[in-house]
Amino acid sequence: MARESLLISTLVELADNLVDNFDVIDVLTVLSDRCVDAIDVDATGVLLASPGGDLQFIASSSESIRTLELLQIQSDEGPCVDCYRSGIAIVNHALADSVVLWPRFTPMALAHGFRSVHCLPMRLRGRTIGTLNLFRTEQGQLSEDDVIVAQGLADVATIAIIQHQSALDARTINDQLSNALNSRVIIEQAKGKVSQATGCGIDAAFDRLRTHARNHRARLTDVAEAVVTGALDATAIDPGVASSLG
Amino acid sequence: MAIERLIDIYEELALRGHLGAGTPALCVVAAEFIGVSGAGVAILSADGHMSGLCTSNDIATTLMELEETVGEGPCTDACTSDGVIAEPDLQSPRDHGWLTYAPLAVASGAHAVFGMPVRIGAVRLGALSLYGQRAGPLTDSQSGDAYLMASVVGRTVLALQAGAPVDSIGDELVRQSTMDYSVHQAAGMVSVQGAMTVGEALARIRAHAFATSATASTLGRRIVFREVVFDAFSREWRDTGSSTR
Repeated sequence: MARESLLISTLVELADNLVDNFDVIDVLTVLSDRCVDAIDVDATGVLLASPGGDLQFIASSSESIRTLELLQIQSDEGPCVDCYRSGIAIVNHALADSVVLWPRFTPMALAHGFRSVHCLPMRLRGRTIGTLNLFRTEQGQLSEDDVIVAQGLADVATIAIIQHQSALDARTINDQLSNALNSRVIIEQAKGKVSQATGCGIDAAFDRLRTHARNHRARLTDVAEAVVTGALDATAIDPGVASSLG
Repeated sequence: MAIERLIDIYEELALRGHLGAGTPALCVVAAEFIGVSGAGVAILSADGHMSGLCTSNDIATTLMELEETVGEGPCTDACTSDGVIAEPDLQSPRDHGWLTYAPLAVASGAHAVFGMPVRIGAVRLGALSLYGQRAGPLTDSQSGDAYLMASVVGRTVLALQAGAPVDSIGDELVRQSTMDYSVHQAAGMVSVQGAMTVGEALARIRAHAFATSATASTLGRRIVFREVVFDAFSREWRDTGSSTR
């Protein structure tokens, strides 16, 4: 598909997802997956700052990126941490030249096969609430257009997390950040339960939860919470292939 | 950065000695750290009953007892709504329905109260309440600190349930600012293995990590890789021997 068509279909899909009762983790996962196609990168991750100010993992296009994002959080260094602290985009950074700058992150990222990394700040009224992070296995540069598209998608992610932007005070923003991060934990707890109860892998358990939510027109976090509390039997979750579209 | 604030909290807690159930150190540190007149922590039992765990001073104790008696107030609402509760002026309160609580709280010396849910994913552990002797909202930085403190309270309550010393959570927090997601996945798995709630599974993982001198995230990963399982019949942990160490 041509780049413009990909971008348009991505925006339409996100707009579809952003109507009324949407699930923030679901939207961020869709966004991460679509970034990979629309900007021609190999993996995407989203980090979100908690109200207390520490970065936490919230969504990614693959598990290997989750490991890299966690490494940055734990070692308190790396491009995403720098981008979050400065609020300034870090683009076209060749990892081969980054060992001095990020001594712990760089060797790990290279070992995962990545050669370049790009981080876009998620900004809201002068406050940086997280970063959208793009990883490439090739050295190649992101064009100026790519950077504009990526920043646009980072802005969409911000809108997805901070809803009802008309009446925003610090308390409302903090509440929504806290709820989004807690949703991620609920989904991880549910993934563990579904994986153990049905014998499927952790990633497959996530697909099953998402499929179930779509099939039943429910929010992903609500389905996950019902599984964790036992209101919904973990073995009763639909298999991981959507039975119908929409 | 939040991590430095967390280190401050644990240094304060360490200075005040070990915590046990009912010791006020956690609440004293919470009140000082956030900069409010006092704080209290209530915990939820498995059947949803709320009870006070600790308070920072006499007024905080009165407020907690009042909530337990009348079944209204910021902890109660934070637990039931799973959201942050703020009442910056108890003398002209918003619509919380605290008909009994509000005037009695004012009479005991509190003019503003706040409630933060204490939760780990879908596991609801209780609530942190704060009060001010003067009316007024929390500032932005107090609000951020209150969220941070609520997460510290969550880990502390979990450690108390697991029988682990509180300085062990301090170590864990300093080494990794966020609880690794493998711990949450593992809690889901262990709850099915042992036919228990996810909250109980979290506490058991925490206790086993402490007993074996492992971090909760290392144990979490081993559970996710099915190297360690919780045996439903013996109610004990079993090494499956598939460890690659």
